[in-house]
Amino acid sequence: MLKFDTILGLAGDPALHERLHGLEHRGAVETIVLEPRDMARHRLRATTDKGTDCAIALARDTMLEDGAVLLLDEARAIVVRSAVQRWLALVPRDAAAALELGYHAGNLHWRVHFEGARLMVALEGPEAAYLERVAAFLEDGRVRRADG
Amino acid sequence: MSAETAQHPGAARVGIGGPVGSGKTALLEQLIPRFAVRGTRLAVITNDLVTKEDAERLRRSGLIAPERVLAVEAGACPHTVIREDPTLNLDAADLLEQRFSPLDLILLESGGDNLASTFSLELVDYWLFVIDVAGGGDIPRKKGPGVVQADLLIINKPDLAPHVGVDLEAMVAEARAVRGDRLVLVTNCRSGEGVDAVVAAIGRDVLFDAAS
Repeated sequence: MLKFDTILGLAGDPALHERLHGLEHRGAVETIVLEPRDMARHRLRATTDKGTDCAIALARDTMLEDGAVLLLDEARAIVVRSAVQRWLALVPRDAAAALELGYHAGNLHWRVHFEGARLMVALEGPEAAYLERVAAFLEDGRVRRADG
Repeated sequence: MSAETAQHPGAARVGIGGPVGSGKTALLEQLIPRFAVRGTRLAVITNDLVTKEDAERLRRSGLIAPERVLAVEAGACPHTVIREDPTLNLDAADLLEQRFSPLDLILLESGGDNLASTFSLELVDYWLFVIDVAGGGDIPRKKGPGVVQADLLIINKPDLAPHVGVDLEAMVAEARAVRGDRLVLVTNCRSGEGVDAVVAAIGRDVLFDAAS
């Protein structure tokens, strides 16, 4: 198990990028892929794509970010990547439906953002579980799905 | 250039949530002596609605030095202070770390809440959700966020199953089905049965035991 309590920088940082690039060519960059919500954790245990057991314990004022470099030496690097956030896009039929849908999403403590007339719901579990919660809206046409 | 160091990174913070009466405080009372035996340097925060009942119970228990137990009064829905605005609990955790540094682990018990209760990952590193057999065998399939999203789901009071008409095996199977890969454990927090596995899970995932 490797223990990490600091982030060396981001993979895109000019100071790190070249060295990472060289290691990538040698297949020596390992990746930890985390679900978007797990990026908020300060302390977790995770396994890289090559099976390295990692224990991460960051100071409370330090946040993981996509591309966070945990290890960089001559032999290898370990980089954290955030999995792509999946979204459920919902379009209310009219203002009344929008009010209802917004109230409902708030009650469910869903994480959302707005894209014009679309309510974008961050999926933090199976999509089916979210669709179950808005089934009545979808069935009677108050809300329809839109391509993400 | 390596980030590996021997510095103490601060205490792991582990939340314990769940409905009223499910056994959260009883679980704490089972966990504290087990962590003491391991040599884990521990402090506890309890959350109550408008009293310090759970904190006083722990302080009187003799299981932990009373000054290592802090109480937070939510004053409203308990989930507000563990999720929407965890400032009171963050301050309490920071205070404990200042007073008793170095700590290895802070356990934060939520006030009793409903199945939608979850912890902010700004506040805790890992969280448990405790339900009990007497609350109903159908709890897991209701897919409450607490049941589904917790890092560890605990089903407590298995001894009551025959008395309340619950099929424990089916309840556990349904819990595993709705949680995917996430861990489900059964405990009896009166007898202590099953609690060692909870300690092992916390040890592995946030105290970073080499093997547990």
